[in-house]
Amino acid sequence: MIRNRLPACAGLGFKPEHFDAIRQGGKTPGFFEVHAENYMGDGGMPHAMLGHLRQDHALSIHGVGLSIGGMRDLDRAHLDRLKRLCDRYEPESFSEHLAWSSHDCTFFNDLLPLPYTDETLARVAEHIDAVQTHLGRRLLLENPATYLIFRESTWDETDFLAEIVRRTGCGLLLDVNNVFVACANHGMDPRAYLEAFPLHAVGEIHLGGHSEREDEDGSQILIDSHDAPVIDPVWALYAETIERIGPVATLIEWDNDVPDWPVLLEEALKADRLLARALPAAAE
Amino acid sequence: MDRHATTALAAALAAAVSLGSSLSASAADAPKEKCYGIALKGQNDCAAGPGTTCAGTSKIDYQTNAWKLVPAGTCETMMTPAGHGSLKQGPAPA
Amino acid sequence: MIAMTTEVQTRFAYALLDPLAGTPDNLATASGQGPGRRFEVYRNNVRSGLTGALASRFPAAVRITGEAFFRAMALEYALKHPPTSPLLLGYGSDFPDFVETFEPAAGLPYLADVLRVDGMRSHAYHAADHGVLLPAELATIPAEEVGSLKFALHPSLGVLRSRFPALTIWAMNSGEKALALITDWQGEDVLVIRPHLDLRVLALPPGGAVFLQVLGAGGTLAEAAEAAFADHPDFNLERNLGGALMNGVFAGLNKGA
Repeated sequence: MIRNRLPACAGLGFKPEHFDAIRQGGKTPGFFEVHAENYMGDGGMPHAMLGHLRQDHALSIHGVGLSIGGMRDLDRAHLDRLKRLCDRYEPESFSEHLAWSSHDCTFFNDLLPLPYTDETLARVAEHIDAVQTHLGRRLLLENPATYLIFRESTWDETDFLAEIVRRTGCGLLLDVNNVFVACANHGMDPRAYLEAFPLHAVGEIHLGGHSEREDEDGSQILIDSHDAPVIDPVWALYAETIERIGPVATLIEWDNDVPDWPVLLEEALKADRLLARALPAAAE
Repeated sequence: MDRHATTALAAALAAAVSLGSSLSASAADAPKEKCYGIALKGQNDCAAGPGTTCAGTSKIDYQTNAWKLVPAGTCETMMTPAGHGSLKQGPAPA
Repeated sequence: MIAMTTEVQTRFAYALLDPLAGTPDNLATASGQGPGRRFEVYRNNVRSGLTGALASRFPAAVRITGEAFFRAMALEYALKHPPTSPLLLGYGSDFPDFVETFEPAAGLPYLADVLRVDGMRSHAYHAADHGVLLPAELATIPAEEVGSLKFALHPSLGVLRSRFPALTIWAMNSGEKALALITDWQGEDVLVIRPHLDLRVLALPPGGAVFLQVLGAGGTLAEAAEAAFADHPDFNLERNLGGALMNGVFAGLNKGA
């Protein structure tokens, strides 16, 4: 089983519009992350660019369409496509989400929430086993940004994730912005959430920007929109987390209203500075 | 196939080959040539088409009824046999 | 046991796409207020994600109709034909057919063909990599074998016959040509091809579309030339072969086929 081996530094999501800027030399992040599904075409520019980047950068492949949290069977054809992609690019990490996105032959192009029950736990664990076996890789599972809760749920999300880790041996991708967003939306304390989170299994961290929308009573709903800089309270949670667990590969997600390359790079450098400060703590 | 047609085809092929070889050493990098007109590109990032997302959006997708809308882009300025722009459609009759 | 949560997901899924469906009753918020607005976030993500996918695949049509009209039209399509695969690269391949019969767009009869040009472009962009047939490879073919030559066409190839000046309209809405009145309103045939990584959109000369279609269907050079002449008396074999060779339309010769 190939384990996650991303370098413990800041990475950026690769956007084709930045390719020329990246190629011109100058500073580049410690790794790039791409969405698996965007590189499942047969050929052409996407593969040419990714192949070029891969020559001298660590790579994280991040799936968004496997629907691990779906109750239906996994899409075998999609699993085969993931296998081909991982075999071709040999990424340092493969990750997916605790969410579902397909149901009865329809793909919703969104990460949808699931109730946390014994039944869903068993199903998710079964799916993760299947993925890890098929890919021959340890998967990192990402905690979701959610807007609703299910009346059926009997598990806390953190306990649910810890139990998944225990049953499958998978790792976790801790999205700190998702923690901030979900906790705000569910009236929870993000520090308590992180306290309960199985931090020992974290192989990568995601940071991103979010936005706000008004709820029915005029209060705010936070939306995980990846269209803005990471806000200070999220940076603070991040700094506290890496002080506890030591430096870990950290991705800045900025997927909508994508800024110019230097702006994005500056966000990564900010994470790198915090990672450098976390180093002594981890060495103790 | 009669002999005449064979000769004509062979001649055309030979001409095409020399045309192809003389105008461009490699088919890969002939940005412009006369046979097919000028090659257009369009914006290449658009050709990438839809990407996936793991983000939500705060932009509201207004649930407008398309049957009540009239196209209002560049179609307004383009000339068609019917005159400027589109043949305007009003709301569908009730 | 599995059936229970499957049912939860089925209800959630249907409510996402059905404009008349209410919020599933098993959802809640921590603050105790109604979950409707929260469910709308997911509904909005799905709708905006799918119409956005279509907008990014068909940018020229967005310019022609304006964003609001395009999104509304795309939403009607997306709710009826949501993606069936997590690969969005090819989502909306039959969107042009939908638009062709979409009544509010009836005033823009050319719109479907402009959509088809962008559809062919995104197909070509992601098509398999393949070398191209070099002119030199044809130089040694004996004259008596030329008529029976068959060609393998490049995987990126797309050909469109349009009753409308679809290429000119596409070019005006893709940053290739200034927006202007089209006074010469005539049908145009369009070729999209991607030799190596170079994506090209070209006008086909008279008979060129039929010529390539016959070759693509496995016809011989003689058959294709004959069909192209029949289609248009101005068909010029030398010009069409030369253009095809220079743009990498042929992936190779189909020997023994």
